[in-house]
Amino acid sequence: MRTARLRRIGRALMPRVLAVAILVGAWQFLVVIGVQSPGGVPLPGPGDAVGAMADLTRQGLLLPALGNTLSRAATGYVLALVIGTVIGAAVARVPVLRSAVGSLLAGLQTLPSVVWVPIAALFLVADGHDENAMYFVVIMGAFPSIAMGVMSSYDNIPPLTFRVARSLGARGPQLYRHFIFSAALPGYVAAMKQAWAFSWRSLMAAELIIGSLTGAGLGTLLDNGRSLGYLPEMFAAVLTILLVGIAVDDILFSPLERALLRRRGLLVA
Amino acid sequence: MSVAFRSRPRLLIDEAADEVAVRLEGVTKVYGRGRAAVTALDNVSLEVVRGEFVCILGASGCGKSTLLSSIAGLDRLSGGQIETSVARPALMFQEAGLLPWLTVRRNVELPLRLRHIPESERRVTVNRLLAMVNLIDFAESRPHELSGGMRQRAALARALAQDSQLLLMDEPFAALDAITRDTLHDDLTRIWVECSNTIVFVTHNVREAVRLADRVVLMTSRPGRVGRIWEVDIPRPRTLDSAEVAALATEITSQLRLEVSSEDR
Repeated sequence: MRTARLRRIGRALMPRVLAVAILVGAWQFLVVIGVQSPGGVPLPGPGDAVGAMADLTRQGLLLPALGNTLSRAATGYVLALVIGTVIGAAVARVPVLRSAVGSLLAGLQTLPSVVWVPIAALFLVADGHDENAMYFVVIMGAFPSIAMGVMSSYDNIPPLTFRVARSLGARGPQLYRHFIFSAALPGYVAAMKQAWAFSWRSLMAAELIIGSLTGAGLGTLLDNGRSLGYLPEMFAAVLTILLVGIAVDDILFSPLERALLRRRGLLVA
Repeated sequence: MSVAFRSRPRLLIDEAADEVAVRLEGVTKVYGRGRAAVTALDNVSLEVVRGEFVCILGASGCGKSTLLSSIAGLDRLSGGQIETSVARPALMFQEAGLLPWLTVRRNVELPLRLRHIPESERRVTVNRLLAMVNLIDFAESRPHELSGGMRQRAALARALAQDSQLLLMDEPFAALDAITRDTLHDDLTRIWVECSNTIVFVTHNVREAVRLADRVVLMTSRPGRVGRIWEVDIPRPRTLDSAEVAALATEITSQLRLEVSSEDR
């Protein structure tokens, strides 16, 4: 019974373990054949990167940086969620707004949020406080996908759902509560997931360029590694950034999305 | 998609004074404008008596669905007027239209929640309706776990939960296989007797109409008009392959064929 379960978990994890092994192998291969920078610095291997992660942790640098970055990301993301949801809902339901700013939102979504970094650095960094600049970049990076997601998940509600709502006599708040919110939920969760990716990327750009006056983040570690010419630290930072991205998706968004779709019979088991 | 939730003034028939459940007078519906205009319904007049089971029969595109959604108040008329004995008729479509995020129980309960019926009362009513449509064992299932026939049963229970004395059905069994449909015909007849409600049932299936209805109204196509009307006085319970049902179905079919071929010419 127990071994059967372990075997099932093993079988589910196998492809992922294999994929990671292949990637690490390819990385190690580049190290072995002696890839180096034009300046003659050799490419650090996976072992060096993990070693640097351990060193940074022991020196008390990695975890505080991780904490700073995560708290910035979370704050910026929640703000983007609120702003994006309000704007998306307004644009979805008010035709005038849709024709006015619909295409602008689509444009903002494709605009790389890194372009906001210099502007934010100039206008929003003052008296040693750069948090607002970071939030601004994260919001500008993430809110358009939330707003677009709200719009498209509203647009994708089947007309039959509205017919049913009307024939059952639902109107006003009832229409939203019992029909629109639930019908739009899977699309909204997909947008949340995408917006998280945008937030995370935007924050890294902001941390790399603005630096961190109010506490080092992962981006700061990466930038320090570069300026000190200590490559294992750079790779340790990149690895940590990647791992956080994977973890948030695996722990938060993917299970939520799967549970929603399974309940509605939209997931092929 | 934007949906306008307009309500048109509904003319109510005085329940106490009148035995009529639905009255259509000169109902006309035109889609589009100018040269592109299509007349879906042309001067349709019809009365449905309370407690009557009326089948509206016609070839596809004859405007019978338009007629039904006009009675339901979902479509605006171009002319004429419709009176009904209830403010909000219950409506069933070809697709069950169950909400995929709710269990069968919650779907059936929804009309009661929308009317703010207290929880204890909702529970009793939903259980009674689920038993009526033989779905009590599937109360906690989700719509995607049900067969097509079971989904329509659930949709029927939800329509009955609206507690409307007028039930409008738009080809509700058209997508089902013959055997499932036959069982649902039996169930629907039994429920109609039990609830003593008025049913207006749209179909293109002649035998289905004869098996179910007190009266079969044949609609002509393009523009939709009321053609012939048959009183069906075959005693219930009826079966699909009984001689009487077959004979009347043959008669109506030949009439229907006449309509279709005269239109083709």
